[in-house]
Amino acid sequence: MTTSETAVSTPVVAAPPTAPARRHRRMHVAAPWILLAPFLALFLLTVLGPVILAVVQSFTRINRAGLFGEKGVTSGFAGFDNYVQALSNGNFIQAIGRVLLFGIVQVPVMTVFATVLALLLESASARWPAFFRAAYFLPYGIPGVIATILWSFLYVPGLSPIIDVGKLVGLDIDFLGPNTVLWSIANIVTWTYTGYNMLVIIAQLKAIPSEIYEAARVDGASPLRIAASIQLPLIRPALVLSVVFSIIGTLQLFVEPMVLRTVAPAIVTEYTPNLSAYTNAFAYNDYGIASAEAVIIAVAAFVLSFGFLAWTNRKGRS
Amino acid sequence: MNERGLRVTIGRRRLLGLGLGALGAAALAGCAPPGANPVNSQPVIPAAAPGEKITLTYWAWLKDLQKVADIWNAKNPNVQVEAVFSLGGASGGYQKMYSALAAGGGPDLAQVELRSVPEFMLVGGLVDLSRYGAQQHASLYDEAAWGQVNFNGGVYAIPQDTGPMGWYYQPAVLEKVGGQPPATWDEWAQLAEALHKKDPSVYLESFSVADASPFISYAAQAGAKWFTPTDDGWLVNLIDDASLAVARFFDKAVDNQWVQTAYDAYSPGWTAAAGNGQIAALTGASWGDALVETIGTGAGKWKVAPMPKWPTGFGSTALGGSSAAVLANSKHPKEAMDFAVWMTTSKEGVDAMIKYCGIGWSPARDYIGAQRQQPSQFFSGQNYNTEVFVPAAKQQPTDWHWWPITQRTIYALSDQFRLKLTSGQSFVDSLHVTQKTTVDTLRQIGLTVQEAK
Repeated sequence: MTTSETAVSTPVVAAPPTAPARRHRRMHVAAPWILLAPFLALFLLTVLGPVILAVVQSFTRINRAGLFGEKGVTSGFAGFDNYVQALSNGNFIQAIGRVLLFGIVQVPVMTVFATVLALLLESASARWPAFFRAAYFLPYGIPGVIATILWSFLYVPGLSPIIDVGKLVGLDIDFLGPNTVLWSIANIVTWTYTGYNMLVIIAQLKAIPSEIYEAARVDGASPLRIAASIQLPLIRPALVLSVVFSIIGTLQLFVEPMVLRTVAPAIVTEYTPNLSAYTNAFAYNDYGIASAEAVIIAVAAFVLSFGFLAWTNRKGRS
Repeated sequence: MNERGLRVTIGRRRLLGLGLGALGAAALAGCAPPGANPVNSQPVIPAAAPGEKITLTYWAWLKDLQKVADIWNAKNPNVQVEAVFSLGGASGGYQKMYSALAAGGGPDLAQVELRSVPEFMLVGGLVDLSRYGAQQHASLYDEAAWGQVNFNGGVYAIPQDTGPMGWYYQPAVLEKVGGQPPATWDEWAQLAEALHKKDPSVYLESFSVADASPFISYAAQAGAKWFTPTDDGWLVNLIDDASLAVARFFDKAVDNQWVQTAYDAYSPGWTAAAGNGQIAALTGASWGDALVETIGTGAGKWKVAPMPKWPTGFGSTALGGSSAAVLANSKHPKEAMDFAVWMTTSKEGVDAMIKYCGIGWSPARDYIGAQRQQPSQFFSGQNYNTEVFVPAAKQQPTDWHWWPITQRTIYALSDQFRLKLTSGQSFVDSLHVTQKTTVDTLRQIGLTVQEAK
């Protein structure tokens, strides 16, 4: 794009533009927009539009009179009322706390799993690496709803063979209890996304030039030493990327608790921030609060992701 | 707000904020508030001219509803009804209906749960059918069902099915302790205690802490009146004597482990436990029969008795039930109402609704459906519908009213109920907390509320 623009603008300086040249230039200006149009139209309609609408709605409130609003309904500017109400909603705050706890435990565990799997599959002594790579990646191809339904058969008492075996050896396992269900969800999420993160890391491992390995081997480095001193430092960008994606994914936790709710009484209606926004919007018809919550979630994801990036950058420099 | 401080440090962000603010103001100005639909103050829409051919659409989650409509269509060539499947209630159907209403469209008829009728009134979504002569049909319906669609002197929907409650049980499991179906809740408690003491893996029933709906039905049976519409707004009282007594009763039942709280009725865990005799009984609505029949090994092992009674209140109560409501943007409300009345009260309509759609209890006062007058193989050859549910339907609470934020109250109460298992909070406390949040929410959305003293 830039090269073609400079190519056209050079003669313009030399002489006043002739008619064909002007048409030519107009075409050059229009061409990228025409090519971008399908993307821009979808982006505006399905991303930017809803975002603006959500922000607007988060500052709107509806006032009614009578039993059902039959004596008058008005809507108006609410200031930050919806935000105050969202942030003073104990359920929403608890939901945020819950996903933070979830993230602090689940994201590191999953990242460690993914890294170890990637290093093992990329080590020289690995057997059938292609097969195992595909096998570990497979869960990512299963939609979250289906995965949760499948896992719920392993969680529900009376159906779960795991609970039955536990009973045989005297263990009373409750996957869906109030203190355990969060970790049962973490298990499903880890199972689904470890393979995906592993693949991101493997891609980065494959980009390490083979000369570095050769040099290390000539120096007599053991496989462990190679992993610690060469591979781990060089896959740092991939690790950072996968952690940032995981942080965003954690804040948006929705499908797993939503589906598991049907078999787990311990999952409340506003179990995660997204479930809270969903419930407010679609069960309570209160779009103002729901939009305020959605904006808060987006800001939190933004702050956490960029906070993590800034932190790793500073650490990288020092 | 503190713009002066911001201007110095982050000019760009302020610019963005101003831009968004301007956009917001523009959007606000062009946006009519939802719920302002004036359909019930506009002139009545006249019936279609003779010979004019019209088509009505009906959004519902009943299966094979078109087969019912086809019977009507064959007899009414000028008023054709087209059934469109819509997801069940709060799991997607309502969202679609609310959106259609907000956009100025939507079907002529929609299936709306009885408890959600006031929620649709809150968004101005329903036609007041009393302006189209609905009151003349009142005598065709069970009093309790008809009472639930009447507000402010108007009729806002046509009852389609209800859920009078009874008591499903396995005689062989009760036999272990020589038990009989309990006539009162006190007898029920004794039976539950005896069963669990005899064999700790056996419970009389599941009690749901995740869904407060059954609890609300029990409280209504005891005579609770949570919401009363008055000229000065809603009178809200979740903590009347009847409700507190029922809450104390179930506090005791859960504390003493007389009930199973790990899974809800009809869930996979419950079905497995009921199949191997670890769940002995179910206080359930009439429509629960179809779900009990899904217990693979249950044929011939179940019977039905009237539900236990409280010292106060009513002989039975209701759980679930839905209506056919005429939505605000319908162009033919009179014809839509006529179809709904035919569908829910004529013999052919009721029979077809049971045969094809498997509806809950028919709210028609004089006809329960031909199939429901037969004895059932599964329920030990018992003619349970005429024996148990016909009297139960007549003994439902008659002045129970749902309210404009029913779903929200039920969710709020259910979230509190769950604390019973996590932190031991009593159901009594849960009612007090929910009373407060419900009143607060009603005030936040601008409705007039009085709190009971």
